[in-house]
Amino acid sequence: MVESFAAALFLIGLLGIVLRRTILVMLMSLELMLNAVNLTFVAFGQQQGLLTGQVYVFFTMTIAAAEAAIGLALVIALFRTFRSVDTHAVHGMRE
Amino acid sequence: MQLAFLCFLPFLASIFNGFWYLFAKKPWKMAAGVVSTLALFTSFCLASALAFHDVTFSLPWIATGSFELPFVLRLDHLSSIFVLVITGVGTLIHIYATVYMAHDSGIQKFFAYLSLFCGSMLVLVLGGSLPILFCGWEGVGLCSYLLISFWFDDSEKAKAGAKAFIVNRIGDVGFLLGMFVLFQACGSLDIETLTHAQLSPTTVLIACSLLFFACTGKSAQIPLYIWLPDAMAGPTPVSALIHAATMVTSGVYLVTRLHVLFDAAESLHIVMATVGGVTAFVAATIALVQDDIKKVLAYSTVSQLGYLFLACGVGAYEAAVFHVVTHAFFKALLFLAAGSVIHGMDGEQNMWKMGGLKKAMPVTFATFTLGWLAICGIPPFSGFFSKDEILFHTFTSGHTGLWALGLVTACMTAFYMTRLYIVTFLGTKHTHAHESSWGMLAPLCVLACLSALGGIFGHMISHTLAFHAEAESSQLEWILMLVSACIAGLGIALAFFMYDESRQPIRARIQKQYGWLSTALAHAWYVDEAIDLVLLKPLRQIYGFVWRTIDVLCIDGFIMLLASGGRASGDVLRLIQPGFLHISIACMVMGAFFIMGYMVYGQL
Repeated sequence: MVESFAAALFLIGLLGIVLRRTILVMLMSLELMLNAVNLTFVAFGQQQGLLTGQVYVFFTMTIAAAEAAIGLALVIALFRTFRSVDTHAVHGMRE
Repeated sequence: MQLAFLCFLPFLASIFNGFWYLFAKKPWKMAAGVVSTLALFTSFCLASALAFHDVTFSLPWIATGSFELPFVLRLDHLSSIFVLVITGVGTLIHIYATVYMAHDSGIQKFFAYLSLFCGSMLVLVLGGSLPILFCGWEGVGLCSYLLISFWFDDSEKAKAGAKAFIVNRIGDVGFLLGMFVLFQACGSLDIETLTHAQLSPTTVLIACSLLFFACTGKSAQIPLYIWLPDAMAGPTPVSALIHAATMVTSGVYLVTRLHVLFDAAESLHIVMATVGGVTAFVAATIALVQDDIKKVLAYSTVSQLGYLFLACGVGAYEAAVFHVVTHAFFKALLFLAAGSVIHGMDGEQNMWKMGGLKKAMPVTFATFTLGWLAICGIPPFSGFFSKDEILFHTFTSGHTGLWALGLVTACMTAFYMTRLYIVTFLGTKHTHAHESSWGMLAPLCVLACLSALGGIFGHMISHTLAFHAEAESSQLEWILMLVSACIAGLGIALAFFMYDESRQPIRARIQKQYGWLSTALAHAWYVDEAIDLVLLKPLRQIYGFVWRTIDVLCIDGFIMLLASGGRASGDVLRLIQPGFLHISIACMVMGAFFIMGYMVYGQL
């Protein structure tokens, strides 16, 4: 039950990243995916009666916090450069 | 414990002065010198209390696996003599330097280096095993470099320091290899163990040859003597302490310390004696025509060091140690007196610009006179006894040729020292100079007394060391004594004849007739130039070739090739890159699905 919920959450996040064009929303979707994974960890940990899953969640949360910090910093930098948060504005990666 | 204290006090002073220099930029004139002097003087007092006792201090130091190397300091009769000379003469030179350097802005730095030198030198002579001795050996080399290039704004002086350092490193390779050979054969580098070890004659010969090579570096013998004359670029107290009284004698100390090994390496004896004798002779010839007052003393130091190795080569270790002691007295005195003259002349070092300083600097003149008599070998001053003992042992060991060479060198020594003495101090020329203050003159007076009376230590030294049975004093000894005294007198008389002011025309005629010779001598037999031509120029060409072909062409070329390859492949791959963020993400997701699918279903 919980696994299906987590899988749904993960898919929503994935679709959000692939389909949305606002970089801020993409970051939020990324968080959604990470939390879906957390949920899976906890759920399987509960089912198997192991603590490993719970422990891993802490690692994921730490990494997520770090990632959010870097991501937001990048968003700010991006906004300052292009005056926009639309990913279509950013197509200089080819040059 | 006292021994460790004795050895590490100078290091403490050095650290103190070093931090002072770093954190408090305001030089407080003489205080730094007082700290260093007090530290060394305390060491001297401790050394006097401990001298001629057998004291050992040991700490665990390096222990890995089966190899164990404790930090051992060992005081015995031989090291007692050296420690007393180092701390005693060192203290006097420190007092002198405190005044001499008082106006230098880097005085704390100077004394930090000087104390570091004294500490390293004490480690060198007290070290109970070869690696510890080597630590001191390297430490004094480092300090020598730091102090020669103390005024490093002058690129000549900086170069002189670098030259000393590099030439010494060449010798140190010999030391390291010698240690390796001994360790391979004996399994230990403790000096006590080594002297009692049963080693094969070939091993001993190889090890001793390598160690002797190291000594030629540190003690300025042919072929590695070339750094010492240039080392005079340093401040004069440094020349006196490091490049005359203490460091340069450490080669002799090493040979004497390991005399059991060197005794066993019989075919090395004649090499050592010849190197010493020839160095003494060649350096004396160069000293004959030098105009720089410190250069004369520098070549004279090389020459006297040659005597020391001559003595070691003929097995007269006691005579060598005796000459080390007297030489420390009179050469330190001569250098300090020369420093006083240079100080009084406001930095002038060319002796032809001096003259008649007898009146202007009476105390310096009087002390220099004693030093001059001592180095010339006039009885009853100290140099006569030690030099005579060396010549006596050379004669009785059957090396008549080397004895004659030593005698000729003694004559030349008397000649060039008298020349220096006459041109600087005598004559009617009136030079403006001011006598130095008593802080500088007091050490000169003490050293002058020691130079005059140092001969009385001779019997004591040979008695306490007693490496070999004392030869009975015979009629032969008296005859040889008389001969060497006459030879010294001849040299002095010749110089007085030549350098009297009325004989200027004769000198000019000789100068004209033998101009090529005096030019060659003034250029130190063109040794530096020859080394440059034979050794350095081809080396520079080889290095240039290696740099241009191997480094620039092969290594750099390969790296550049890799880099441009990466750039070219990037240019190609760019063509398939759309550059939009969400397409990249979609590709990534698809890739992830693909990998996941492969992992789940791929192995079915």
